[in-house]
Formats: sequence, structure tokens, C-alpha cells
Amino acid sequence: MKKWTMTLLSAFVAMTVVLAGCGGNNGKDATGGSASPSAGASGSSGQGGGKKNVTLTYMASQGWIKDSEMELAKKFEEETGIKIDFQIVPSDQYFNVLKTKLNAGEGPDIFGGQSGYSEITMNYNVEKNAVDLSDQEWVKREDPLSVEQLTANGKVYALTIWDTYSSFVVGYNKKLFAELNLEIPKTYEEFKNVSLKIQEAGVTPIYEPIADGWHHVLWFSEPGPNYDKLEPNLYDDLNQNKKKFVDSKAMLDSLTQLKEMYDLGFFGDNTLSDTGSDTVAKLGSGEFGMSLVAQSVATELAEEYEEFEVEDIGFFPIPLTDNQIYYINPGGPSKFIYSGSKYIEEAKQYFNFLTKQENLQFMLDNDPTISNLNFPDLKNKYTAEQQKLFDGYPERGTDIQNYVNYVNPQWMDIGKDIVAMLSGVIQPVDVLKSIDERRAEMAKVAQDPNWQ
Amino acid sequence: MNRAIYPFYFGIATLVVYSIFFVVPGLMGIYHSFTDWNSYSDEIRFIGFDNLAKIFSGEAKYLSYIENTLVFTVSTVVLKTALGLFFAIMLNDGIRAKGLHRVMLFMPSIVPMLVVGLIFKSILNPATGLLNESLRAIGLDFLAQKWLTDLNWAFKSIIAVDIWKGVGYIMIILLAGLQSIDKTYYEAAAIDGANFWQKLTRITIPLIVPALVVTTVLNLLHGLKVFEAVYVLTNGGPGYATDVMYTAIFKEFSTGNYGMGTALSSVLFVVMTVLGYFVVRLMSREGDER
Repeated sequence: MKKWTMTLLSAFVAMTVVLAGCGGNNGKDATGGSASPSAGASGSSGQGGGKKNVTLTYMASQGWIKDSEMELAKKFEEETGIKIDFQIVPSDQYFNVLKTKLNAGEGPDIFGGQSGYSEITMNYNVEKNAVDLSDQEWVKREDPLSVEQLTANGKVYALTIWDTYSSFVVGYNKKLFAELNLEIPKTYEEFKNVSLKIQEAGVTPIYEPIADGWHHVLWFSEPGPNYDKLEPNLYDDLNQNKKKFVDSKAMLDSLTQLKEMYDLGFFGDNTLSDTGSDTVAKLGSGEFGMSLVAQSVATELAEEYEEFEVEDIGFFPIPLTDNQIYYINPGGPSKFIYSGSKYIEEAKQYFNFLTKQENLQFMLDNDPTISNLNFPDLKNKYTAEQQKLFDGYPERGTDIQNYVNYVNPQWMDIGKDIVAMLSGVIQPVDVLKSIDERRAEMAKVAQDPNWQ
Repeated sequence: MNRAIYPFYFGIATLVVYSIFFVVPGLMGIYHSFTDWNSYSDEIRFIGFDNLAKIFSGEAKYLSYIENTLVFTVSTVVLKTALGLFFAIMLNDGIRAKGLHRVMLFMPSIVPMLVVGLIFKSILNPATGLLNESLRAIGLDFLAQKWLTDLNWAFKSIIAVDIWKGVGYIMIILLAGLQSIDKTYYEAAAIDGANFWQKLTRITIPLIVPALVVTTVLNLLHGLKVFEAVYVLTNGGPGYATDVMYTAIFKEFSTGNYGMGTALSSVLFVVMTVLGYFVVRLMSREGDER
């Protein structure tokens, strides 16, 4: 009998410990549930004075929520009593976590996501998981190109507040160019010659952080509008499956040129292990002459290196296939409201608050990484070099990944294919074939009528 | 013999828990390999052997993943066993501070593979890593390679890191096996004039076959399941050169292609079961015969 009581008691204790552990985790788990009843929402009581005692969970990937927005959220809480609980997830895990939660029916009240029709329908299933925001006031004011990116079947599903005109461009060391008597290249041949001269002078022409896995794909995807210009209607034909990537000579040329740049040693010896976090240091030390960068790099360089002024870095768009179009990405990280949230009205209130003119200007003024937002009538922070860039390249176009379907979701795979191409394992045409195969797979799964 | 026999129902609770959390999901996984389960649509359709056909057809890179996994497994099994045995024999007897040496060799096993991977990623960086910088400092520049990005060295580097981490564990197991060998065998052999090599092959190895079975099976399963080492060090790169089954499965699941992911898992499951079974049979039989 004694043995029985002891075993029963220990089993009981073990079970209690396990259950307590599980229960405790639900409360403490940072990436845990949506508006879990225990956290925040001590009911919608406290209606007195229009202030509610509500917590909205807002999940996003690292880098999508700026400090300025968090400050505005605090102001919002003071005004309305609605608290925003920011849950930041590391970028390489974010989409796994988000998709798991959406599939499990436990999405956070507000979630971040990228833009583009195939992204929002295939990856987030917005028609089921997000709230239709077409009737909101800010939709009329937001840049229509951005609104288009977040629209599916006529309904607007997210709010985008982002610097959409700040594309990745080739930033170059103006002093170096002046020393070597170089001019801004307008064609690929000129770009090649400029790089060769820089190489002869003992400087590595281009810093390219291939190790990050996503950066080097930009060389191929950003000049997209030029491919469309050289082969009219290419974008629409790709979307309607009338043409494939492998049919495009412009794209093949682009990849072949990229391979040539690698083979000539323009990226340096260590490029496969180089990371983006070192870009400012590499440009600042004078070891490298150019790099494909975000335009804010000029400001960062000026802050860290005394010998650099903001105006010492000039810009030009990627000249592969002789591109002279300033390509833009009208979308950007956007905010969605989960359809299963208990606080949809409060979330909409938050969006209305963020898009108030004075709050947008606040975000613009207090974020050093952006120069403008995709809303009208704001005072921008463009530097002289940026203004020169916009004035010098008046032709605009949307890059591939934001117009052509089923490209963005396979970004990292394209990255791996390009590395295989650079290493000589496959040919440039094989990269295009792989892209087509993956597009076909995604289209079939999404039951896209153009791929039947 | 006094064997306390426990009623069978003492084990039922464990069996139930094990079934629910391991067996049932495993079987469900195998079922899903024959469907097109994915994250983009809510319906799951039975597609038969389409997934398996795609894996073995050779047009995608799946066959190279299988090949990489097998190469990795064979290399680590052979090298870990050989090195583990070497260290075990060295540290069995006759060395000072053998306790310290054993601890130093075993320590890497308890560090999580993720941590080891990240540390070695830094050490093996071609430009600034500890290894290449040390080689350059002592004038051996020509030995400095691009360990993780050169097609010839990437996979070898991953294998080396895995061996570095795992050899201590194997050494401990073989050490236990060595210490169970009766010293009188060696004395008798010495009297008969046997040299070191003969002692090794005629006495040591036959008598530690049970321990070798254990280590071989452990190494085999570990090798087939390798994931963190590859993911952290190269993420399957450069290109697809070092991708193994599990990084492929992870990628399939990340892109929402669950059906294909479970198909790959099922293939791996079958391979592991077959190999494990044969290894145990083969080596136990050998042990019994002697």
C-alpha cells in the first residue's frame, strides 16, 4: 500500500509541475498567442471618458517598426488607453512564425507583412485572415501605387507607411572618381571600364555582401523596368504566362553581365563571405570604391568617418543592360489587421492615429534612415545628391519583384541559384529555368488560371 | 536468477504517451507524403507517388541532397570511429593527466551544435577568421583556404566541425568498452610475442564489437539527421553544394510545401530504418560468432 501511495503521489506531483509549466509559458511566452485573455484585455470595461483598457498585440519582423512609431504608440496609449504590445521577431524566422499563427487561427491583432498581390494572397491568405480596410480615410491620401500593392480583388488589406522612393542604387566614392577622372557610367560597357580603372588603381571596385543571401539578387531584379522597356509588355506576359523568364534575352544578358563582373574580380576575393553590416566600414576605409546601397548610407558614412561628407557619395541606378530607369518598389512592409481579432475597431483607430498628418511628419523627422514617406504634402529630407539622382533619372518603373507574380516568395532561392552560377556550377540560363520552374509550382498550387 | 517481473501495465502510460506524440504524427507524416498539403490552400488532395517521383527523377536537386547526406554519414561514421578509438586507446592507460585529457576531448559534445557552428563560422572566415589569420601569422599563407565558400572545401569543413564536436562522445563509449577487456589477454599475447598491431586487431577490436555497434548506430543516425551544422555554417551553400536532406526538408516547410517536406522526411525515415537494422544485425552476428 505504501508503495502505491508513493508512486501515485510522485505521479501527481510530476503532472502538476508539467501543467504549471505549460500554463506559465502561455503568459510569459513573448511570441505566444494573440490577445490572450490573461494578458492585457481586462475587458472593455472602463468606458468612462472614452478611454479603454485594451492591449493590441502587434507582431512584426526586425527592422519594420521604427523607434518613432513606438513613441507614437505611447502617445496613442495616453490619449486613448489602448496599449500596443510590440512583438518583434528576428527576420529569418518571422514568416515561419507568422504563417504558423495564421494557420493555427491565432493571429495577433495587428501583423506586419510585405506587399504584392501574390505575397498577400498566397503567403498570408488576406481574404481570410485580414480585415478589409478600403473604407478607411487614409486610403484616399496614401500613394496610389502603394495602395495598389496591397489590394486583392478590389479590396485594400493593409496600411503602408514606408519610404518607397528610396531604392538601392550604386553609391560611389566621388573623391575616388575625381582622382581617377571617371564619369558616371550610362551603359554596362562604361560601368565595366570604370570598374577596371578602379581595379588598376589598387581599389576593389564593388563591395557585394553575398553572404546575406538576398542582396546580390537586387542586381538582377531592380533593372526589371528596363527589361520591360527592351521587350515591350514583358511584365504582363510573364504574369499571364504568355512568356517565361527563360524567353527573355534582356534577363539573360543581365545575368551574364553579373557573372562577368564576378569573373573579372570586381567584387573582391572575399565576396561570398562578406556581409551587409560591414558595408559602411568597407566604403569608409577606402578599400572599396562602390557598393549597391540604400541611399541613407551616405549619412551613415558621414557620421562615422570624419573625412566623408554626406555629399561625398554619389548615386546612379544599376547600369546592367544599359539601364537608365530609376526603379522603385512602391510597396514595403505593411500593417494588416487580423480578421479574427477581438479589437478590430481599436486597431483601425490606431491606423487612423498613425496617418494623421502631424504624426506622419513626426515619423519622418525622427527616423534617420528615411527621407520621405508615401503620403503627400510632407516635408522631405532629401540630400543634394539624392535630389540630383531623382532629377537626373526622370524615367520611373517598378522593379520585377513588385510587379511580376511568384518572384518575391522565391527570393532566397534565386539568391542560391545566382551563387551557384557565379561559382560556375550552372549557367545563367539555368538560373532563369529554375525561376520558371518555381513560378510554375507556386502558380499550380495557387490554382492560377493562367497556368492551367 | 532473481528477476523482479513488473506487471505489463506499468509500461502502458509511457506507451500511450509515446504513441500519441511520436508514432501517430510519424504515421500521419507518412500519409501526408502522398498528398499535396501546402500552406496556400485549405484542401488536401491525394496525389499518390508524385512527390516521390519528383524526388527520384533526378531533375531537381533532391538526388544531390541524398548523395550529400550519405557522403556526410559515411565520412563521419568512419572518421569518428577511427579517431574515437585512437583517442580511447591513447587515454586508456599510461598517460599522465588522462582525466584532464578525457574531459577536454569530451567538452565539445555538450556545447550545442548551434553554438559550435556559429563559433566555427567566425573561425573559418577566409579574411578575418582565426584559422587563416594564424596560418598567415606563421607564414603558412598557402594553406589558407576559403573554408566555407570554396566548393572543394565547404563540405569537408562541415564534416571536420562535426567530427570535432562528436569524437569525444564516441571516445567515452569506446573507452568504457576498452576497460571491460580483461588485461590477461594482453599479457598472454605479450608472452606469445604479439606486436601492437596484432594486439589491436586480434584482441581489442573483436572484444569491443558491442561498443562499436552502439557507436556505429549512433553515428549513422546522427549523420543522416544532420541539420544544424550545415544550416549554420553554409546554409547549404555555396549554391546548393552542401545541402543535405534536412536542410531541404526545412526549406520545403518554409516555403509552405508541406507535402514535399513530409515526403523527404519519409524517405529519410525508410533509409534510417533499413540501415540501422542491417548494421545491428551485421555487427551483432559478428560479435556472436567470435
